[in-house]
Amino acid sequence: MPILSFILKRVIQAGFVLIAVTLFVSFAIRLTGDPAVMMLRESANVTPEDLARIREGLGLNRPFLVQYGDFIGGLLTGDLGNSFFRGAIAPLVSGALGATLLLALTSLAVSLLISVPLGIYAATHRGSFGDQLVRVLSLAGLSFPNFWLGIMLVLIISVTMRWLPPSGFTGPQSLIMPAVTIGVILTSTNLRIVRTTMLDVLSSQFIMVARAKGLSQAKVIYKHALRNSSIALVTYLGLQFGSLMGGLVVVELVFNWPGMGTLAIEAIAQRDYPILQTVISILAVLIVAVNLLVDLTYMLLDPRIRLE
Amino acid sequence: MTDLKSRLLVAALAATTALTAAPAIAEGTLTVAQRQDPANWDPVDTFLVAWGAVASNIYDGLVRRDENLDLQPGLAESWEVLDEGMRIRFQLREGVQFHNGEPFDAEAVKYTFDRLLGEVGGAGPQQSNYTTIESVEIVDETTVDFHMAQPDPVILTKLSGYGAMIVPPQYIEDNGQEHFDMNPVGTGPFKFVSYEQGAQIELQANEDYFEGAPELDGLVFRFIREDATRLAELQSGGVDLVSDVAFSAVPTIEASDNAGIVAVSGPSIYSLALRTKDAVTEDVRVRRALNMAIDKQALIDAFLAGRGSPIASLQGELSFGYDPELEGYPFDPQQAMALLEEAGVAPGTEMTIDYRAGNSTFNEVAQALTGFFAGIGLNVGLNPVEDGVFLNEIVPQGRTNEMYQFSWGGWTFDFDNTAYLSYHEGEKWNPYGTSEEMNALLEEQRQSPDQELREDILQQVAKLAHDEAYHIPLYNEETVYAVANRVEGFVPAPDKRLRLTEVSVAE
Repeated sequence: MPILSFILKRVIQAGFVLIAVTLFVSFAIRLTGDPAVMMLRESANVTPEDLARIREGLGLNRPFLVQYGDFIGGLLTGDLGNSFFRGAIAPLVSGALGATLLLALTSLAVSLLISVPLGIYAATHRGSFGDQLVRVLSLAGLSFPNFWLGIMLVLIISVTMRWLPPSGFTGPQSLIMPAVTIGVILTSTNLRIVRTTMLDVLSSQFIMVARAKGLSQAKVIYKHALRNSSIALVTYLGLQFGSLMGGLVVVELVFNWPGMGTLAIEAIAQRDYPILQTVISILAVLIVAVNLLVDLTYMLLDPRIRLE
Repeated sequence: MTDLKSRLLVAALAATTALTAAPAIAEGTLTVAQRQDPANWDPVDTFLVAWGAVASNIYDGLVRRDENLDLQPGLAESWEVLDEGMRIRFQLREGVQFHNGEPFDAEAVKYTFDRLLGEVGGAGPQQSNYTTIESVEIVDETTVDFHMAQPDPVILTKLSGYGAMIVPPQYIEDNGQEHFDMNPVGTGPFKFVSYEQGAQIELQANEDYFEGAPELDGLVFRFIREDATRLAELQSGGVDLVSDVAFSAVPTIEASDNAGIVAVSGPSIYSLALRTKDAVTEDVRVRRALNMAIDKQALIDAFLAGRGSPIASLQGELSFGYDPELEGYPFDPQQAMALLEEAGVAPGTEMTIDYRAGNSTFNEVAQALTGFFAGIGLNVGLNPVEDGVFLNEIVPQGRTNEMYQFSWGGWTFDFDNTAYLSYHEGEKWNPYGTSEEMNALLEEQRQSPDQELREDILQQVAKLAHDEAYHIPLYNEETVYAVANRVEGFVPAPDKRLRLTEVSVAE
């Protein structure tokens, strides 16, 4: 059962990552500001007693490690507790996580659907006009900052053409512009990876052998070359996941998308420790999980790769 | 084959229609977009103007403040200030019901204030505003007495908003606090329908409202953080009214065909506070010189689209305590430079402005200010700081540079609110202290139920602060709304509350 022990090992590793990350975040956020002060920031007549009363109400007068222990205990038992300002955390976070994952996966799908065929085309027609065009377009896509692209889409498609709602999450149509915004950036980089690795693989000996055996062009490309070149793409996507989440924060803001980024920004602004700690923990788990998935995918793509 | 083709065509058409359908606005429903989601609808738990904008449609106080900031009867039909301000007797309105059918009576008033001043209110930000109330006594079913711990000249105003909104005892006891946080019930002109965190709250008209049903059938508040996105929603017809409009967007909206600008003088003032201890600004001549370096009107024209007025003290003209006679320092770089020389401040002396980085307008203003200061030979740098750090670590700890942003927007429009926290000993916005004289004046007006005397003292406070040049008062912002043409009868209140009973939408 090498797979099971491998997964187990990674889960234990994830536990350590989670503790390190949450410990750091919980500690650091407490150094930069007090939720009681944030709560009373628009109030006049604030006395030190008022601040102390609120801190006590929020449980902030307890030692740091007790507060942290409570939080971790809650995470493990599935009781996420309450935010300082906004009620129960569980429904808030599950809604936001759903929205963010939906957006992330859709953008990823959009980018793969575009970048893989185009990348293959460019690689197999190296030097042609089409190849040049693809390379120029991907460079252009890379050069757009995603918030700018988002705002331009809103201006053209929502404000001028009135085809799609500019913000919020009211139905499948709300997904299009944010997914395209992130998708374009992803597509541009993916496209370059697919093209380069494809070129690499296509010039290797086993492809010559396959061709010499008389296999059709389609079989050579899709069965042999694509599978071998996708290892690089999968690795890259795994590495990209963290920055994809970062990019989502900005795009969520532009499209008022009710996701994890929006939730985290709000929580930082108000020093809402419980929400921030929860959001960060979930992101950490996600990133660890994605990396595990990447490792497992390697085995599918290339049976020669062994687990250690 | 043809069959398949036509089926595909129909499916494609259906999909396109679904995609291109403009966001539906229900008839008789007004949609507002504002920046912030208050995230909690319990009056004792809030501290946000954004809460007041929404919730003044759901709740009523004993007293109501109208668009001219005059106090009107709310859930109390009348009141009497007795025993030299130590007791206030309210005669309550009869026959009013909460949205859940529960009757409004003296019991509800007592419950509301016991809750606010007790343990539940203690964990929230509102209690501190109402600590001058000692207790509420039920005289009979429609009469209550407020017993005061000390006379509070601003208490009637405070009873018209926020923490003093009357809440339904039975409903809260039956459903619990947490349910009430997310499912508010009041007596107001609109009833709560649904709330989606971070997205929107939906209200419907209360047909039985004691002042008559509102014009609208429904009201939706959407929470959209990004300035440009709120405007895009307005321009694409997704919302009818946008609050928190960035000044830089005003010309665009004014030029648009389907919307316009409605502005009202607001409570927000902006200034630079000056460090009066252990810095070159310790010298009052330097502080006066800094005041004379700024052309305030130029700032307003350039960065506020003209929507503001210069101020001489930390208040706008609607504020109680405003003195029309008090003139600000003139824009006079020559005299400023003479003062600096007299104080021994060499040309090229370095100073820094700390300011809150989140506000795009003030960001621009701060940059322009460095230009004005360069005009009197000073080398002034900028230090933008994140809000939480600014409010926790920089100001109250006395760790500011020579100049630091002070902006305030107290909804009570009483100068006491701003002056006390800026000038009184030990207050969070006064880390460097002022003077015994100032402390005495501020305390005296707080004790006095005599409004004329208070106004006189508050004017003295402003004069003293001006002479000592504790701040560089800059401007009083107008509150700007962008309003779609189909909206009729929108008259904004200066206190940023959006009570939309008189508004209607054209069909």
